[in-house]
Amino acid sequence: MYKIMASKLNRRIKEYFMLAVANLFHRKLRSWLTMIGIFIGIAAVVSLISLGQGMKDAIFSQFSALGSDNIIIQAKQATFGPPGSSAANPLTKDDRNIIKKSRGVELVATRLIKAVQLDFDKKTFFRYAATFPDDSDGRNFLIERFKFKIEKGRFIEIGEKNKIIVGQNYAAEPVLDRELRVGDKLSINKKEVEIVGILAKTGNPQYDRTIFLNEEALREIINLEDRIDIIIAKTSNEEDVEQVVETIKKNLRNHRNVEKDKEDFEVQTSQQLISSLGTILTIVTAVLVGIAMISIIVGGVGITNTMYTAVLERTKEIGIMKAIGARNSDVLLIFLMESGLLGIVGGIIGVCLGIALSKTVEIIAANALGSELIKASFPPVLIIGALLFSFLVGAISGTSPAIQAAKLKPVDALNQE
Amino acid sequence: MAKIIEYFSIATSNIGKRKLRSWLTMIGIFIGIAAVVGLISLGQGLEKAIETEFQKLGSDKIIVTPAGNVYNSIPDEDTPGKLKEDDEKVINRVRGVKTVALTNFKVSEIKWGKEDIGFYFVSGNPTKNDESSLTQEVYAVTIIEGRYLKPDDKFKAVVGHDYATSTAFKKNLHPGSTIIINNQEFEVVGVKDKLGNEGDDRTVIIPRDTYFELFDTKEYPDTIIVQVNKEFTPDDVAESIKKELRKERNQKEGQEDFAVKTLQEYLTSFLTILNIVQTVLVGIAAISLLVGAIGIMNTMYTTVLERRKEIGIMKAIGARNSDILFLFMIESGFLGLVGGVIGVLLGLGFSNLVASIGRQILGTKLLMATSPWYLIVGALAFAFIIGMLSGVLPAKQAASLKPVETLRYE
Repeated sequence: MYKIMASKLNRRIKEYFMLAVANLFHRKLRSWLTMIGIFIGIAAVVSLISLGQGMKDAIFSQFSALGSDNIIIQAKQATFGPPGSSAANPLTKDDRNIIKKSRGVELVATRLIKAVQLDFDKKTFFRYAATFPDDSDGRNFLIERFKFKIEKGRFIEIGEKNKIIVGQNYAAEPVLDRELRVGDKLSINKKEVEIVGILAKTGNPQYDRTIFLNEEALREIINLEDRIDIIIAKTSNEEDVEQVVETIKKNLRNHRNVEKDKEDFEVQTSQQLISSLGTILTIVTAVLVGIAMISIIVGGVGITNTMYTAVLERTKEIGIMKAIGARNSDVLLIFLMESGLLGIVGGIIGVCLGIALSKTVEIIAANALGSELIKASFPPVLIIGALLFSFLVGAISGTSPAIQAAKLKPVDALNQE
Repeated sequence: MAKIIEYFSIATSNIGKRKLRSWLTMIGIFIGIAAVVGLISLGQGLEKAIETEFQKLGSDKIIVTPAGNVYNSIPDEDTPGKLKEDDEKVINRVRGVKTVALTNFKVSEIKWGKEDIGFYFVSGNPTKNDESSLTQEVYAVTIIEGRYLKPDDKFKAVVGHDYATSTAFKKNLHPGSTIIINNQEFEVVGVKDKLGNEGDDRTVIIPRDTYFELFDTKEYPDTIIVQVNKEFTPDDVAESIKKELRKERNQKEGQEDFAVKTLQEYLTSFLTILNIVQTVLVGIAAISLLVGAIGIMNTMYTTVLERRKEIGIMKAIGARNSDILFLFMIESGFLGLVGGVIGVLLGLGFSNLVASIGRQILGTKLLMATSPWYLIVGALAFAFIIGMLSGVLPAKQAASLKPVETLRYE
């Protein structure tokens, strides 16, 4: 019994579907214009979400270079500027040793990130200098985690003083008349150094504009005493990261003589760093998508309008259908299906256009800006979600016209015109 | 003229006849117009608010900073470019310079009460009369409790608004309270009015001489503020300052380790960013207008279809093609215009709502709704033109109908 009912229902739905398609084709121009309204909106929303998601993924993968089992320690500072630049009580080499001795810490890598003055070919410009630690463990750890690769020349070796490597962008630094090459000599804060290598492109514009040298070398150029901007600790495999964070906090508190919750330093897992960045991106994407959603609402109103017109035009037809036995629910379903179809076809075209649009933006960004952070990403959730959403918009917009059609009295309908 | 009025009355009566459809079509337009008008109104308001704030600071100010605060980070001890105390003398000698004030700032540990501790900016400001009022102007300092620093003040402090009001702190500070900066006690003598951002509202201002005693840093200014004499243009004076400082340091053009900018330049670069953001938002909102326009086109095609007979009769009794074209275009333009009127009203309502929420909940004066005449007139004209343009194709179709065929239809 159930099976027969199910197959009957199936057949009915199939029939209604064919009817809806036929009706849409009948009024081709109007159906097209209505669908354009929907697909413009869907395309805008899909491409914005796709780019937002893609950017998030790209940033996450850059950050996850740090690995989820790593802990980043910085001194508390004002919110802007690179790590350490405005710290009240900077980290020191002593802190590094305390962290290194903490339970669960396998190795630590220290970094300095400083703005420096570069002079080359009678031009002066200011860029960031970042350092590699002067011990091979920390150093290999950093190189591996950030996936730094040399494109030309070689890496700086441990203990080398007057040698630097430069980011990819210096190959075409706009301030300079010519590109920098391996062997070029330039000066950092008036001290002469030699370029021994050029890094392969990292895809992160910040890194591509940075120069790299050994920590001790930078300490000789800028008088930093034993200050450190950022310490990255790698936890041993079997340890719980959160636990190690607490241990480091406790040890540093004791060493720096500060009370709990009054710390002048921050200990974060790389996971925490990423999630705060992700939140900002999500908010920006949400605002943009929200504004783009307005156009989908307008498109939905367009569907409502088209469906009311269709009901009006087909009043006689509805009357005949009802006169020969169609129930209210049949008429309702036929019209709902028609409007849902308008929505979903608009949605399909919209998704295709949206994908094309965000891909184009990605390609333009990669070629013109050299940024690999702007990426299009199309998770299945987005595509299926957009299609479902467009069908829903269609069906909801068609609800009130469909109810009107279903409620028509056969006599009145036949009587019309 | 009479003809146009007639067209208009035909158009309105036709729109009235198909009330539901016309309303739905107009909803499409007015949602879009409301979004665009609302966003522009808020954007312009923000721009205006910032500009007035800047005007208050005065356009006769020049700011000298060390070069090398890459990506606009704040200068600190390690910033490669350095200003020197002697720069004050050099700048003072430049023609057109009225007052020169040196300031310093750095993040420090700040403690008060039993439990409150934080790491915020401490600003070392001059206390001599002219220089003091110049820094107060540029940093937009208004005192709401107590007083500002006096010339012979030593361990006295003016605290940001948050210290006196924020519920995030266990104890709030008022004139007479004690605050410990870098392990040194200070007496609070005044509270600054709210500026609306945490950075400023948690800054503590102390006398610049005390600042150097407190922090034991080398004496160099982080920022030099210059006021220009009324009869000189800030741009020219800024150029001369650059030249003199270069000469003093033996630097060639392009090799400066300092930067000289007028306040106007800061304003301009900020407004440029604001404009880009606004354009992006309005651009995305404008997509809905496009969708609305397509809705008008759709409605007009339907109208032409329904009124074929009417068009045939009009043509049979002597209406020219151009009359029909005009009639339909005015009708669709009218759909756009009415949608535009409602949209402008809604949009301005929306922006005023946001502005008052901003004022009451966030306490910011920067969220402000403006309704300049050109925005209103522009939006209305734009809505009308969108309507007309969307109606062009359907109207052309109507105009080209052959009377004989249309009369035979149905």
